[in-house]
Formats: sequence, C-alpha cells, structure tokens
Amino acid sequence: MRVLVVEDEASIREVLKADLSAAGYSVDLAADGEEGLYAATEYPIDVAIIDLGLPKLSGFDLIRELRARGKTYGVLILTARDRWQDKVEGLSAGADDYVAKPFHFAEVQARLSALLRRTGGWASAKLACGPVELDTRTQAVSVNGATVELTSFEYRILEHLMLRAGEVISKSELTERLYEQDFDRDSNVVEVLVGRLRRKLDPDELIKPIETLRGRGYRLSLPRRPA
Amino acid sequence: MMRGPPSVSRRLLVAVALPLLLFFVLTASAIDYVFRQQSTAALRDRLEEQVVALVTAVDLGFDGKLVVNLLDPESRLDVPGSGQYAALRDDTGKLLWSSPSLAGTDLVLGSKLPVGGVDFRYQLARDGSTIAEMSRGLQWAYGSGLSKKLVFTAADSTAPQMRELWVFRQRMAGWFGALDLVLLATMAWMMRRALAPVRRLEEEIAALESGAASQLGEGYPRELAGVTSGLNALLESERNRIVRYRDTLGNLAHSLKTPLAVIRASLGSAESDERRSEAAIQLEIDRIAQIVEHQLKRAAAGGGATFGQAPVPVLALLSDLRAALLKVHASKDLNIEIDAPPELGFLGDSGDILELLGNVVDNACKWCRSRVLVSARFDPDRGLPRRLSIVVEDDGPGIPQELRTRVIQRGVRADEHVPGHGLGLAMVRDTVTLYGGQFFIDASPALGGARVELRLPGR
Repeated sequence: MRVLVVEDEASIREVLKADLSAAGYSVDLAADGEEGLYAATEYPIDVAIIDLGLPKLSGFDLIRELRARGKTYGVLILTARDRWQDKVEGLSAGADDYVAKPFHFAEVQARLSALLRRTGGWASAKLACGPVELDTRTQAVSVNGATVELTSFEYRILEHLMLRAGEVISKSELTERLYEQDFDRDSNVVEVLVGRLRRKLDPDELIKPIETLRGRGYRLSLPRRPA
Repeated sequence: MMRGPPSVSRRLLVAVALPLLLFFVLTASAIDYVFRQQSTAALRDRLEEQVVALVTAVDLGFDGKLVVNLLDPESRLDVPGSGQYAALRDDTGKLLWSSPSLAGTDLVLGSKLPVGGVDFRYQLARDGSTIAEMSRGLQWAYGSGLSKKLVFTAADSTAPQMRELWVFRQRMAGWFGALDLVLLATMAWMMRRALAPVRRLEEEIAALESGAASQLGEGYPRELAGVTSGLNALLESERNRIVRYRDTLGNLAHSLKTPLAVIRASLGSAESDERRSEAAIQLEIDRIAQIVEHQLKRAAAGGGATFGQAPVPVLALLSDLRAALLKVHASKDLNIEIDAPPELGFLGDSGDILELLGNVVDNACKWCRSRVLVSARFDPDRGLPRRLSIVVEDDGPGIPQELRTRVIQRGVRADEHVPGHGLGLAMVRDTVTLYGGQFFIDASPALGGARVELRLPGR
C-alpha cells in the first residue's frame, strides 16, 4: 500500500516514514501543501496522512483540492490543536478520519488500515474471499482455516489484491505500491511474487485465487464474504 | 483642553434654538407686515377725511374766486411746517390755493387729475420725513347748474405713524426675545435632566478606569440599559478570563510537577530493569501530553463572552458534526438523529459549543450500540434570558453512578485519568460552568443508555 505523508515538521515526517515503512507501507513524503498536492494528484496513492497546519497550502485546502480533482482514496488528518472545530472542518473538507497530536503510531496504523478497508468496501479488519482469510491487524493469512506464512512483500501484494477483490490491478500499479518512486519498473519481481503467492495459497491448484489477465494485470477472483 | 466635537447637549440646544429663532423671526415679520398694512390703510382713511373736509371748506367768494374757510381755528394747516398740508388746483393743474402750513417747505402738492381720478403717493420732504398725499379730482357744484372741475389734495407727514411702528416693533422684539429666552432656558434644563444618566455613565466609567468601581450601577433608563448591561457582561467575562488564565497557569505548573518527579526518580533510580523505567517514563510523558492538551483547551475556551457575538445556529452546527462523526465512526452501523428547531442559537463562541457537542456526541457514538439522539430546545423552565437545553442520549451501557458523581463534582480535574466516558466530560463540565450553564448526567429513559444534558445561554 502506498501512503502519502504531508507534514511540515521534519521530525514527525521522518518518524512516520520509518514506522510506516516498518509496517509494510511504501511511503511518499511532502513537506508543504503545494508539494503535497502535487504528490496527491500525480502519484498512485492509496491513502494519505495530511497535517492541517501546512505552509503554502493549508491542509483543509489541500484536501478540498484533491477531492475536487476526483481523488477518492482515504485521507487521515493530523491535528495539533485537538479541537472539534478543526476536526469537523477537516472532515467536511473531505477527510475521512483524524488523529490528534501527539499520537501513538499504533493509532495511526489502526486508522490507516481501517480507511484502506473502507475505501476497498470492507467493513471489518478481517478480509475474507472464498476460503482465503486475511487479518489486516495481525497480518495473519489462512486458507480453509490453516495458517499460511507469507513474506512481507507477498503479504502486501495479497492485501492489495484482497482489499480490491474483483478489480483488475495492473502489474505496474502493484509495483508502484510495493516500492517508492525510484524503482526499476522493468523488473519481473511482481510476477515472481504472484507465482510464489499462488503456490503458497493453493499448492494443489484447487481454488485458483489469483487470475492473470494477459496484458492487463491480476485479479483476485474469489467471492467476498463476511469474515 | 482639547476641542473635540461639540457635546450632545450643545448639539441638541443648537438644533432646537435655530428653528425656534427662525420661527420667531418669521412670526415677527408677518405681524409687522400686517401692522404696516393696517397703519397705511388708516392713513389713507384719514387723508380721505381731510379731502372731504377740504371739499366742504371751499366756497365761492363774492369776487367769483374760491375761498377756503377752515372751520377749525386750531387746524395744523395754519401752522407752517406742521406736517399737515392741503392744496387746491383746477383741472388744468393751476394752483388755486394751498394751506399756510406749506410755507417754507417747497413741497409741491397735487397734480392734474381728471374728474373722478384718485392719486395716492409719497414724497420726501426736505427735513427727511416722508409725506403721504391724496388727491381727488371732483366736479365741484356751486349753484344750480354751475360747477367747476377741481383737484383737492390733502397731505400728512408719516412721522407719527413711523414712530408708532417703531414702538410696536420694539415691544414685539422685547416680548419675543423674552419668550425665546424662557423657552431656551426650559429646554436646557430639560436636556440636563434627560442627559443626566449619560453624565452618570460618564462618571461611573471614570470610576471604573480609576479602579474605584468594578461594575456599572443599576437603574439606567431603557435606552442605556443595553449598553450598561453589555458593558458589565464584558467586564465580567474579561475578569473571569483573567482568573481562568491564572488558574490555568497554576494548575498546569502544579499538575506537571508529579509526572516530572516520577521521571526524575525513574532516571535517577538504581533500577536494574531499564525497560521498566522506560515504560514508566513513557507513561508519564503520555500524562504530561494529556495535561498540556487539556489545559490548552481550557485556556482556548471563549468562556461566556457574549458581547458583540451573533448567536451560533445550533442546528447547522449539529448537522456538520453529525456528518463528521458518521465518517469517524464509519465502521459502526451508526444512526444519529437530530431534533432541533432551526432558529435555535447559542450565545457564545462557536468553537466552544462545537467542542462541547463534539465531546458529548462523540462519546455517545463511541458507547452506543447503534442509536444516538440529539435534541435541542429552549429551556422551558426559564423565562428571559432564554436558555438552551441540549440533550444527548444513546443506547449504550450508560454511565456508572460513581463516575457521574465524580464528573459532576466540582474540584475533580479533567486531567486526572478517568477511563471511558469520563475522559471528555470533565472538560465539558468546565466549559459549561464558564458559560454559567448547567450539566446533568443520568440514564436515558428513551434509549436505555446515557443521557447528558447541557443548559447554555441561547437566543
């Protein structure tokens, strides 16, 4: 999952980047509103964390602007002054949730994954498609109740496919969401990872969880069901 | 002393005196005009009579010449320069007779007039006085079938008439002037009385400035009561604000002492388990953050300053808050109902009311199973000034009795760690108190969960 962090305070920005990367997100950073707007509209972002008090373009205006430009991904606001006035204005501008400073990273992470689920159309932290279950909180994956061990990269690909189960996701989109800006796009890492995922989830080729659509990308074709 | 704009009483006095003066001048001119008209008419009548007297005084002498027999031996016509004159001319304009009074005056009386002609005119005498003269052309009969065409002229000085006019004018000016003065004096006195409250206000404000008084007094007339009560409210809220800032500083310093002491102790202790002391420090840092947050909010609360603020529309605010909370609690199947008339307004800072409602309604959303009901009304128990009653109910587990009393009790600080529902409620209580409002917690009869009621100033 690719997350954009727009925060003018360098220390918070760096801590967030370190924590988010460790939690398996690929992270884009922006230090002011204008930079943030560029990243928010030009990069394939899945979710954004936006501080309200930004230089050049305020967080409120940044959110209004990216919503006006048709961006529908989840937006989490950071507020320094934990006042309802700011929260309500931010949420009215188009944000989806808020975290007040000073925050614990665990809270940010919980709210981010909740936002990702919500924008993917999932109600709870547990995603289930056919026999495959994935818990976004514990990052545990099981097939027919049996736990499957995945590497971090494999997990990220599966989570992305499951969050948007039923949609076709291109190879380049998956690549972009796995790594940050300067990744070598010609690499066939995604193909290798998808191949490994298929073998781990479906060693006997019975459920065929991930479909390949030639020239278009991948699709998780198992039916969604409540976990 | 600096010359500022003229005082209110001076403005009023000038505003009244000018029309009054204008009125008197116009009235005096009108009366003067009527008086002059009448005296001119009287003069004409008198001259007319003199012409008639002259006609009867003329007789035909034995020599066929005309003689004038003045009947009155004391007639002023005999006294030279007396101011009363008469003359007789024939129809060719030839002077037949003139009164002895004309001697030495070189006045020329009368002129050629046809029979039936009348002439009234003024002329200036040598001594500067004005002479009014009247001439009549008549067919004068002196026997059967015998008659002459004659012009009779009588003249009189207007000096007595002018004297009369001046006396009249002086009297009129005297009376009007006196009346004017009396009216103005009355007006000035009334204005002093009417403006007495303003002067009192001025004195009381001076007393406020010097610190001799802390409030403006009661008993101002209706026109000023709004200003004075508003000013009193402003003074009161400013004073409260200062007290609050002082309290906040005191509380802040005081409440930071404990966690700081714990941190210092943890750092200095010979505790072998580093992770345990780190955890202790982490806990205290969280506590410090919480304290700072709480005190910042308290300090930011506007706190009852209702002076010069438009009422905040409560329904619009609740709708915004509802939309925001539905987003925040999107993972829950939440149903927030709002029941409030659109004209309901809160008297105070919009940030404060949003903070109050945000805390209370968010709490309800956190704890409810699925339903939250927010209803706002004018408080039926109270007359004026009007108060709002805002009730927030949910279908959650409710607030335990022990916590209710702890939150409601004054003196329990909101930064003490109160789990669950209590977190924002002590803060709410503090803000409600700032507005002189009331705050109740009990169980909701309708939904079965918690019921929180706020009573606040409204309009």
